[in-house]
Amino acid sequence: MKARMGYSTSLKQEFLQKWIKGLHIYSNFKKDMSILERKKAIKLSADVAIASTRNSSTRWSRTLTANISKNVTNKILVEQIFSDPEVIKNKASNRLITCSNRIASRKILRRSHITQIRARKMGPYAVKASSIAKKLVKNRTQVLKSLVPGGENMDEISLIKETLDYIVSLRVQVDVMRRLASAAEHSTRSL
Amino acid sequence: MEPKVEATELEYRSGICGLKPGDIGFDDIHGLISAPPPPPETSSSFTALLELPAPQAVELLVNSLEVADEFPAKPDIAHFPPPQIFPSNIALIDHASKFSSLPLADNSSENYSLLSVSSSKKLDIVKQEQMDSDSNPNGSSPAISDQILKSSKRKEREKKVKESNKKSKKVVQNESYEEGGEKLPYVYVRARRGQATDSHSLAERARREKINARMRLLQDMVPGCKKISGTAMVLDEIINHVQTLQSQVELLSMKLAAATPRFDFNPDTLLAAESGSLMDSSHPGMFTPSVWPEGQINGNSQQSQQLWHFDGLQPVWGGEENNSNFITPDNSFLSYDTSRNSAAASLHSSQ
Repeated sequence: MKARMGYSTSLKQEFLQKWIKGLHIYSNFKKDMSILERKKAIKLSADVAIASTRNSSTRWSRTLTANISKNVTNKILVEQIFSDPEVIKNKASNRLITCSNRIASRKILRRSHITQIRARKMGPYAVKASSIAKKLVKNRTQVLKSLVPGGENMDEISLIKETLDYIVSLRVQVDVMRRLASAAEHSTRSL
Repeated sequence: MEPKVEATELEYRSGICGLKPGDIGFDDIHGLISAPPPPPETSSSFTALLELPAPQAVELLVNSLEVADEFPAKPDIAHFPPPQIFPSNIALIDHASKFSSLPLADNSSENYSLLSVSSSKKLDIVKQEQMDSDSNPNGSSPAISDQILKSSKRKEREKKVKESNKKSKKVVQNESYEEGGEKLPYVYVRARRGQATDSHSLAERARREKINARMRLLQDMVPGCKKISGTAMVLDEIINHVQTLQSQVELLSMKLAAATPRFDFNPDTLLAAESGSLMDSSHPGMFTPSVWPEGQINGNSQQSQQLWHFDGLQPVWGGEENNSNFITPDNSFLSYDTSRNSAAASLHSSQ
């Protein structure tokens, strides 16, 4: 239990520090932002911070930083928050494309083979029911892929793993942000 | 974490076969067991990420499985302890896979699947082609029990889960067990009785087991998912959860943007208020000077020094009168910077 508490707390703190760092950079960079700009800055810093806690070990973090870095101004921010320069993201995207074709064709072959066998073994209704269920699952996985950054090219197994990691990080992010927001509100309200 | 799980696994095995040396390379097995398995990097970080010690994860699974376990011929194989099931512990799976390379002594129609523990609580209908214990518990049990006893002596070392699910209403292919063409290092799958044992289906089954194991982990992660059965529903919940979290991030960033003073976007003041709540989550707004000496924020103090420049705070106390709101929080905020205590003291006194 203690280990668990320690891990998430340290994660939160790491996120918080990086986030504050990003916010600082933003505030130094541009004074007097409108509320929307501020919101965008806050969200961007938070995203970069939470992605950097993973140190590019997960695909979603790499994709997230890559997407953010597309904007040149943001790239500076990204590089400052990360201790080392972001060269990994380029490599990652290349790897994806080459593997996915092979995997896709293998999957198609396997699927057809499997359906033949199943059609022989099971009754006709069972096959249909299972195919409907499969379709449902497939739809959901598509949606999930669109939600998790970088999830498009992943196979199911790693998708689930990435989702898990992503959920944990999102929770950390939300938790810290919520506390900050409530504290800020509290201080503005009380004074 | 890892060694402890290993130890229980060892006990399990020796308990089953009574340390019979007649089996193949039993000493090798022991050597393999005792050698600490190099956990794949992903797995160690994965379990750490889940913040679940392996025994706890195991326990989760055991509890969920004991409910589902309804093998009727259990008394015949009473010497099998209730399954210590570690299928979702990837490190263990990796460890178990080492045994897949050991040749079998005997062919038998009795086949067990390592990770098919979920068979009695199927996640999706798709898995119909896998055996369903619920569907056929009675008819085959007497015949099976003999085979079980026979094969048990030869196969315990490879058996981690006593899989009771037998399938006999499907086309029975009682062919010999084939050490499947399972090349993945992480999952060890054995074909069950009556199932095709070609490498494709084995690989397919291994893949399914992997997916199911991770889905279980996800189910534990997402609140309210444990009772749901069916992959589609669980995925629904997961999607819902992710969407909720993402929208919360948006909302909170908007809220924060609104809460900071319009003329000055300075996160320092917010941090001061916030870090107090991080410390003990009690009273975010009350910053008395007594907070000041306690630099209790774990690691914040040493890392914050370079971040919050003293000069950066000046604009806050500049001519703007609204900024005076934040003076009190700022003092406590300064406390985190132990090297600038003197400066903080001067600030404090100047208030």
